[in-house]
Amino acid sequence: MIGSLARSFAREEPAAPEPFNAPLFRSLIERIPEDERWVVLDLGAVCPTVISLFGGHRCRLDIADVGQGLDTLKEPMEPADLRKAAESLLPELHAEAADLVLCWDTLNYLNRDALTALMTRIEDRCRPGTLVHALICYSHPQMPVEPGHYVPQDDGSLVNVTNCTEQRDAPRYSPEDLTLSMPGYTIDRAMLLGNGMQEFLFRL
Amino acid sequence: MFELGKKDGAEAGNENSRQASDQRSDTRHQSPSAPASPASQGVAAIGRSIRINGDLEGEEDLRIDGEVNGTVRLKKNAVIIGSDGKIRADVYAKSVTVEGTVEGDLFGAEQVSIRRSATVKGNITAPRVSLEDGAHFKGSIEMDPEAVKAALGDAAIASGPKKQAQPAAKPTPIAASKVNGDASRAEEPVHAAKG
Repeated sequence: MIGSLARSFAREEPAAPEPFNAPLFRSLIERIPEDERWVVLDLGAVCPTVISLFGGHRCRLDIADVGQGLDTLKEPMEPADLRKAAESLLPELHAEAADLVLCWDTLNYLNRDALTALMTRIEDRCRPGTLVHALICYSHPQMPVEPGHYVPQDDGSLVNVTNCTEQRDAPRYSPEDLTLSMPGYTIDRAMLLGNGMQEFLFRL
Repeated sequence: MFELGKKDGAEAGNENSRQASDQRSDTRHQSPSAPASPASQGVAAIGRSIRINGDLEGEEDLRIDGEVNGTVRLKKNAVIIGSDGKIRADVYAKSVTVEGTVEGDLFGAEQVSIRRSATVKGNITAPRVSLEDGAHFKGSIEMDPEAVKAALGDAAIASGPKKQAQPAAKPTPIAASKVNGDASRAEEPVHAAKG
């Protein structure tokens, strides 16, 4: 009886999302110099904690929030139209290139053609040496139907606060898949994480 | 480690919340039976049914609950875009608070606050930027004091973060060796994905 009540209670109040260690993200943030200007392109939705994090530095933070428009890249279309659709998701071109791009788990939600189109348009907003951070599903065959919303913690770990229970197949891109689909980028580092993700640091 | 809750933006957010709370308290005190109108609080107001096409300038605080297309310049005052307000304009003010919808650039000499009900498409330039969870924003947030000063003048820096000004030199990329060195202490790196 008590066990049944406890299980029922547990169903009604899902556990708070657990933080996970993201060493490459942490090491990136630790090394952003306080006395030098940085331009950060964030593909995710705006997050107060991320603003707070970069607000302590000399930063311009470009919020692309591409999640809502990713469906437009799923439709079959000509390469030129796909490039145009990818361009429409990104902030306008600035004279000043991005030093760091935060993809979070967005790349999992793009097929190979869309991945190439979007990352090529992002490349236009970067410079040689720009770093690109991404989280790629590697162990689980399924993933949430929508990109996550990741919140950095004081200790440098990340929490995905998205309450999305619906699942879809994960593409589980290998490093070779990513290298082929993102020809301008090289893998600087890749690390397996305990939550079924692989953390990547690319360099242009 | 990052002291996320202690940054200027978060402090500004808390400060704004306190100010908003104080304002609400003041309003209740002034008119216990009904909420005070913006005019009774010394704030000019553009009502819900008002639509303005053109440039707005002045020297008093302004609350916008209607529609404005053009430019809003109140450089020494506060501008509040209410939850019913719809702005397609660049806004220059001492402080900007958004509860409604904005398509345009926001320049705050002291701060820009984006509330949870807000939708903003445009760029923000201010020494302090606070944003509540749930707000929708797409654009750039310029928080570099040097760049803010260049865009807004000395007034922005006077109330901005107390940081040593540095020349705006383009940084060199993060050295890969430094990144590798630290990260490798935390977990074993791998170079091939499973599956």
